[in-house]
Amino acid sequence: MRSITISKLYEDRHEDFQLEVLSDSLESKREITVSDINRPGLALAGFVENFLDERIQILGQTEVLYLKTLSAKGKRESIGRIFQFTLPCIIVAKGLEPPGELLELAREHTVPVLRTPLSTTPFIHELTAYLDVVFAPQTVVHGSLVDVYGVGLLFTGRSSVGKSECALDLVERGHRLVADDVVNVTRRHEKFLIGTSSEILRHRIEIRGLGIIDVKSIFGIRSVRLQKRVEVEVKLQDWSETEDCDRIGLEDRMTEILGVEIPIVIVPIIPGKNITVIAEVIALNHLVKAYGYHPAREFDEKLMQAIHRKRLQDRLVRDDWE
Amino acid sequence: MIERTITITSDPGIHLRAAAIFVKEAGRFRSTIWVMKDGIEVNGKSILGLVSLVAEKGSSITIKADGEDQDEALTSLSSLVENRFGE
Repeated sequence: MRSITISKLYEDRHEDFQLEVLSDSLESKREITVSDINRPGLALAGFVENFLDERIQILGQTEVLYLKTLSAKGKRESIGRIFQFTLPCIIVAKGLEPPGELLELAREHTVPVLRTPLSTTPFIHELTAYLDVVFAPQTVVHGSLVDVYGVGLLFTGRSSVGKSECALDLVERGHRLVADDVVNVTRRHEKFLIGTSSEILRHRIEIRGLGIIDVKSIFGIRSVRLQKRVEVEVKLQDWSETEDCDRIGLEDRMTEILGVEIPIVIVPIIPGKNITVIAEVIALNHLVKAYGYHPAREFDEKLMQAIHRKRLQDRLVRDDWE
Repeated sequence: MIERTITITSDPGIHLRAAAIFVKEAGRFRSTIWVMKDGIEVNGKSILGLVSLVAEKGSSITIKADGEDQDEALTSLSSLVENRFGE
């Protein structure tokens, strides 16, 4: 299971969230493993069943106001209820002043306490958004990702099938390279995929016979992109192995990456075939479909109408005994 | 599919030249080759894939081979890493 430390959270976001450390250190017995957060109001009031102790605990105005109504003994008792669990950390929102008892108990149990001046709800949204990215499912795809007319095309296929050459050719025609050979794909919001390159390889391509080239230094800033949504997989396949390539395009074939379905186009290749132009057309065809026009289906419909008309005419001529 | 985990012993780790030597050897086999480090798996026939692992001395990598000549491939590639890429 993936996890991040409280120090990492602080390091990444303390400027945006204007985090202030109220405890002595950021050391914690538990790391953050989930992107959800919890407001411990009910637990403070006495209901600890189903208490979500693995989550970051956020204290807002309600919690702080409630604690204020209690006596010193009551506060210790109430706060003690949540500290019977091992908590990753506590964040006080809205710049509120937590009771001294909270800081004492937090120190005793080695739970870091942070404070942000941001209002509780917007802060929770931003924190969850950050944690969602941190815990988003990731995978590495062997392929090349290029932004072609704004469509993220992911080229896949066996080694040395020509993915990199295709990417280079597309860059030369004004399209933008995201990653070559190693594409890090992250799932966002359960429904779309974002591809980036690994930091060390960024915008480098290996071309057989030439070696490793740096696309940004040769073609300039407009030839590259840091990340792009992965929208269509283009699988390059040897002609001899291709039995199942689509000849009419009526059905949209789908493939799955990290549980997200995207269309896949299988392109059989032979020497001398211009994959680049085909790739551009794949991107444009995807756009046309996204705008609600399906060329193959539209054509099929026209054809059916023509057949129907022809049949009517034939019948008319056949039954015409005048 | 078979696999083996090996510790990198060469001083510079898997640098560009070492990756090229590995890929050249991997390319001799029909089997699919994967190399894994820290949960990230890359194609063993890709130089950029291998160097993206940033495998330093002392770290361990897992080589996986799958195909008709997988045994031969795994033996050959493992010994290449163990012999510090013949350097």
